[in-house]
Amino acid sequence: MNRKRRKIISSLALFACFLTALWGIFWLFFIIIDVLRHGISAITPSLFLNDPAPPGQEGGGLRNAFVGHFMITICATLIGVPIGVLGGTFLAEYGRKYKISKVISTLADIMVSVPAIIVGAFVYASFVKPLGHFSGWAGGVSLGIIMIPTVLRTTENMLSLIPWTLREAAFALGAPYYKVIIQVVYRGAATGILTGIILAIARVTGEAAPLLFTSFNNAFFSTNMNEPIASLTVTIFQYAMGPYEDWHTQAWGASLMITVFILFATIAGRILIKRRYKD
Amino acid sequence: MSKQKGKITDFVFLMLTALTAFSVIIITFGIFLVLFKESLPAMNKFGFEGFIFSTEWDPVQELFGALPALTGTLITAFLALLLATPIAIGIAIFITEIAPSFLKGIIGTSIELLAAIPSIIYGMWGLFTLAPIMSQHIEPFFQSTIGKIPLIGKLFEGTPLGVDLFTASIILSIMIIPFTASIARDSFNLTPAVLKESAYAMGATKWEVVKDVVMPYSKLGVLGGVGLSLGRALGETMAVAFVLGNLNQIPKSLFEAAATVTVKLANEFTEADKDIYLSSLYYLAFLLFIMSFAILAMAKLFLVKAEKR
Repeated sequence: MNRKRRKIISSLALFACFLTALWGIFWLFFIIIDVLRHGISAITPSLFLNDPAPPGQEGGGLRNAFVGHFMITICATLIGVPIGVLGGTFLAEYGRKYKISKVISTLADIMVSVPAIIVGAFVYASFVKPLGHFSGWAGGVSLGIIMIPTVLRTTENMLSLIPWTLREAAFALGAPYYKVIIQVVYRGAATGILTGIILAIARVTGEAAPLLFTSFNNAFFSTNMNEPIASLTVTIFQYAMGPYEDWHTQAWGASLMITVFILFATIAGRILIKRRYKD
Repeated sequence: MSKQKGKITDFVFLMLTALTAFSVIIITFGIFLVLFKESLPAMNKFGFEGFIFSTEWDPVQELFGALPALTGTLITAFLALLLATPIAIGIAIFITEIAPSFLKGIIGTSIELLAAIPSIIYGMWGLFTLAPIMSQHIEPFFQSTIGKIPLIGKLFEGTPLGVDLFTASIILSIMIIPFTASIARDSFNLTPAVLKESAYAMGATKWEVVKDVVMPYSKLGVLGGVGLSLGRALGETMAVAFVLGNLNQIPKSLFEAAATVTVKLANEFTEADKDIYLSSLYYLAFLLFIMSFAILAMAKLFLVKAEKR
């Protein structure tokens, strides 16, 4: 085949690859700009300070959903982070030589991608049904369960990046293993673990499906985690599907806040990890 | 004495970490068992084949069948895969082989940010922005072009409402592009430079190197990435819930509303007032769990094999 033709085919194919990259970026900007455009007009003080007004009435806000969402996320973090970090520690440190650690880490990798709504159904059957009512705790538990495998895997990865000689140096001073882990290994891997935690929090902040039948929703302001509690994502779902223009606007406002938070957290996490592991 | 104390604390810490690590196994089996137990009444009543091949979904008569939801799930997931895979591979090629280094980071991050945008935002944007565009411009265009071709044209029949399989699949495809792209990129980077250099030395063009050296070398990894995306697409809930319409029917055209397992769960779970209704929903969830778990496990297997080479 003549060389010129092959060169042309090559250029065309590579140009097509360039177009695919544009395609991906196009959607990212399309979505972000669209959320910004619709959401920005909904960002008013009343969105944050008022509770929902009856449909059609002016001046309602989503204070209940912001507070509820924050509480559920904190609860999830308190469950997911300690379990994830300690579990990851076992896999990277004590359990390194056992086969079971490989099994757990593979399982965690799979569980990271398992449908979130399945976790919601699981928590419904094991918490909500026996207790007889939806609750903020159940929402926190379901998001916490989603966090565990993510945090566990990043912790494991970050800990195994710490050079083994560092641990040996500490062992040589006569330190027991737990002290070596806490004072040497954790210190070295802190940035990485923190980044993993930030990314995991960012991920669960956007989850709606598991909250639909765990924390459910609440049109009133509540900080009682024993009761159904409002969350931004479930409110967005309900408001966007509803018939009122007012609701749609507020849903866009809530979407904007969530998107900005998540993009900011994700980018911050990435910069943090790049800085730490570049040099 | 203090050494003894250190040993005890160390043992306690070991047990604590081991226990938390085992929580992953406990949770996985817990989910499996709980979903199984909850779906038992429906399993006993409808059986396996009687459930997955029945199109009935009638809460009043207490007749439940999974076929429409299962077909909806499979069609949207595979269509999304079909749209996303070539694009994701193209992006991976662009990032690894073509882009200048300052663009690599920017484009890589932008594509991965697509994965960071939450599902509910995709859904809301899909409903209010994409669906109208689809129904007014894209879908009529398809109907007047491809729709005229016999046989294939049947896929594009019906009123273009924008809330249908086609829109849902497009949104899903955008959502899964980053997963395939980032794994494909990593596998492309694993190709030994010597292999590529020897191909260049023989006079191969850049595209020929990608097509004949890089792609065959990394196909296992790419396959793993595609599997992972498929697993994600099967379980995607909120994005699809907005734009699929939750209509219990087996769609005949791409421009029809449908339902998926996840959409059914999201919409009907809190409405299920009878035990058998709830149990049937759990049966659906159980099937989805088994399906996505199997696919994700397979994808993971491919990825481990690809890394080992």
